[in-house]
Amino acid sequence: MKDVLFLARTHVITAIRERITLFWFLVFPVFMLVLLALIFGQIGQEGEINLDVAWVNRDAGGSDPGGFTAAVETVFEQLGTPQASGQLPLFTLHRPDPGEDLDAFLEEQLTALRRGRWDAVVVLPSGFGEATYARITGTAEPGEGAPGVSVYMSETSVASEMAAEIIEQVLGEVDREILTRAGRFDPSLAVESETVWVGASDEETRYVDFLLPGIVLMGFFVNGLFGVPGAILFNRDRKVLRRYWVTPLSVPRYFAGFALGHLALCGLQFVLLYLLGRYGFGATISFARPGAALTLLLAAVTFMAFGFLIASLARTANAGMATANILNMPMMFLSGMFFPVGGLPAFLKAVVYANPVSYLVNGLRLSLGVESASFSPGLLIGVPLGWIALSVVVASRKLKWDVER
Amino acid sequence: MSALRALIVSEARILLRDRMALFFTLAFPLIFILIFGFLMGDIGDVSQASMGVFVASGADEDLLAETLSTAGSMSIERFESLAAMQEAVVDREVDFALSWDGTELRFFYDASRVQENFAFQQVAAGLSSDFDLRRQGAEPVISVEPIDVGEIESTGWFHLVLPGILAFSVLSSGLFAVSGHLTAMKERKVLDRLIVTPMPPVALLAAIVVVRLVIVYASTLITLLVGVLAFGLRYDVSWLRFTVFVACATVGTMGLGTIIALVVRRPSSASNVANVLAMVMLFLAGIYFPVEFMPAFLRAISEGLPLTHMANAMRYATGVMDMAETEFWAITFSFLGIAVVLFPILGRYVVRPLRR
Repeated sequence: MKDVLFLARTHVITAIRERITLFWFLVFPVFMLVLLALIFGQIGQEGEINLDVAWVNRDAGGSDPGGFTAAVETVFEQLGTPQASGQLPLFTLHRPDPGEDLDAFLEEQLTALRRGRWDAVVVLPSGFGEATYARITGTAEPGEGAPGVSVYMSETSVASEMAAEIIEQVLGEVDREILTRAGRFDPSLAVESETVWVGASDEETRYVDFLLPGIVLMGFFVNGLFGVPGAILFNRDRKVLRRYWVTPLSVPRYFAGFALGHLALCGLQFVLLYLLGRYGFGATISFARPGAALTLLLAAVTFMAFGFLIASLARTANAGMATANILNMPMMFLSGMFFPVGGLPAFLKAVVYANPVSYLVNGLRLSLGVESASFSPGLLIGVPLGWIALSVVVASRKLKWDVER
Repeated sequence: MSALRALIVSEARILLRDRMALFFTLAFPLIFILIFGFLMGDIGDVSQASMGVFVASGADEDLLAETLSTAGSMSIERFESLAAMQEAVVDREVDFALSWDGTELRFFYDASRVQENFAFQQVAAGLSSDFDLRRQGAEPVISVEPIDVGEIESTGWFHLVLPGILAFSVLSSGLFAVSGHLTAMKERKVLDRLIVTPMPPVALLAAIVVVRLVIVYASTLITLLVGVLAFGLRYDVSWLRFTVFVACATVGTMGLGTIIALVVRRPSSASNVANVLAMVMLFLAGIYFPVEFMPAFLRAISEGLPLTHMANAMRYATGVMDMAETEFWAITFSFLGIAVVLFPILGRYVVRPLRR
């Protein structure tokens, strides 16, 4: 037993000393957690998102009997002001200097929008105030439509699409306010609108709670995919393993020590990621549930076995690393770990169904109550176990524990 | 000149025999666009979304139908019971759902669709507001006219992802070409044999450059073609800009690769360093995730990465993003400048046998 524990310790220390292993083992999952939490965690949260919007008021100085032009301008000014200290305003407003040529200014702003520097350009048309007043007082010409506010956006930019949607909603609110003041709309008679969350939880899942289990599994996956073939094949090719075999150490005992060390690494990885998720990003999920703990153990073992499968099929360490590199991204992204996979075509769905990561990700999130079941309970356990069995069979037949003489 | 020709021929043979290098250069970008094309094609695109609708008996249905008719191309599926509709949301048969009992509108969302619910909620807010106005017979006094400033029809974020993947493919080929290949030659002692010949160090780098340029250009063309044929993406490619940019960016990133080859001696370590750098840049350069949503400090880092500028230049060359013409050429010639400066200076240090 002592030799097994010694080997496990050696494996952990070697992995931590190897800078590249440390990168894939710890830095990369932390990097992904921070990056994705910062990008997707703040979408739609007030005070966290800031959009560059150019504001062109062609009706400034024109007749505005109802004060509508001024009202719309005030609303945009408010959106360009932070709601609390330390928060960003929703919009950073770019406005022409007093007396600046509006056509030239607009042309400049549209160029900035096309070049991705601005997210939207809003143009309040000339005569807006008067036309709105005419519609409210019923003095508008028959058939004359509502005065249109032009919202220029770029469909190739997600931020621009979001800015346009927000502006549309803001103008919708302004519209209701005008109608209310004109006595045409009674907010007290407005239909109640309720949001109901269904599925794994009866409240909205926080992004970091959804992300953290995926990142933990990504860490385990990368650890198994790169760490296992890396350690076994490089040690074999550099004849480190040969030195073990001249001692009384047997392959099963070496394997036991290696596996124990690998699981210890996964445990360490889990603790570090969990602490970062909880204290760095406010994750609230608790992994202290039997289902979650068993799924994590199953995942660590499945990915380790998968690493041995690669080590068995690759002739050299470099070939093993190349194979791991090829499999890494497709297996990660075709599992639902980061993006939904429901809309994929059949040939990619086949990859999702064959991919053990899909079942482990869904199983872990299901056990944590942040996702509903995409697979039956039998498949959630059966498919990873099937991969373990396949890997064990292939590794026991094909894995060479020493370089050929 | 004949020495350079011989080196080019031998480099071409080495590359064509190296199945792994060929795979990473030619097939890897294709795998990426196939995965991400389908994966990201409709994220956030509510026009492709489906909504379940359940109207309780006795509730006024006509006004709701009138409101829903303004929901654009979003598909509407009607349900006979509330339970069946909720189940459809959980099973993702519909993206979200709406029930109307005559007094209250209830919108149902799958709690775990954290990346998509925001867009569905925006649609729901619009429908709810429109329904409210119709019920009270009020007509909007302000209309909003969204105008797309893009010069070609966009199919969403993936339209920008593909040129980004092309830029990444150029970057990784360039970085690995010198760092991985040259250090491997050192380790196999092939370089030792070449160095004792009258071959100037820059000639070997030039041969690697010529062969990689051809293969990278072919790879970008194939990837672009697959994007067009498989996903119906339309690009207005300026072939002059595209060709000059691919050539300059390839040699420029190879120049950056010589720095790695200079600093890191072992081939596996050099490839690892190149891999780590490429991976970090991939996620920070706005290739997969929009830079606009990143916090200010990450945006600043992103601005400093060569891949960010490569992706933007590639988007400009393929006609999906606007950019000042001077900016495009400044980026392009910066990469050429990196190569012109780094190759002669570093060539003599990099093309050396492995120190023992």
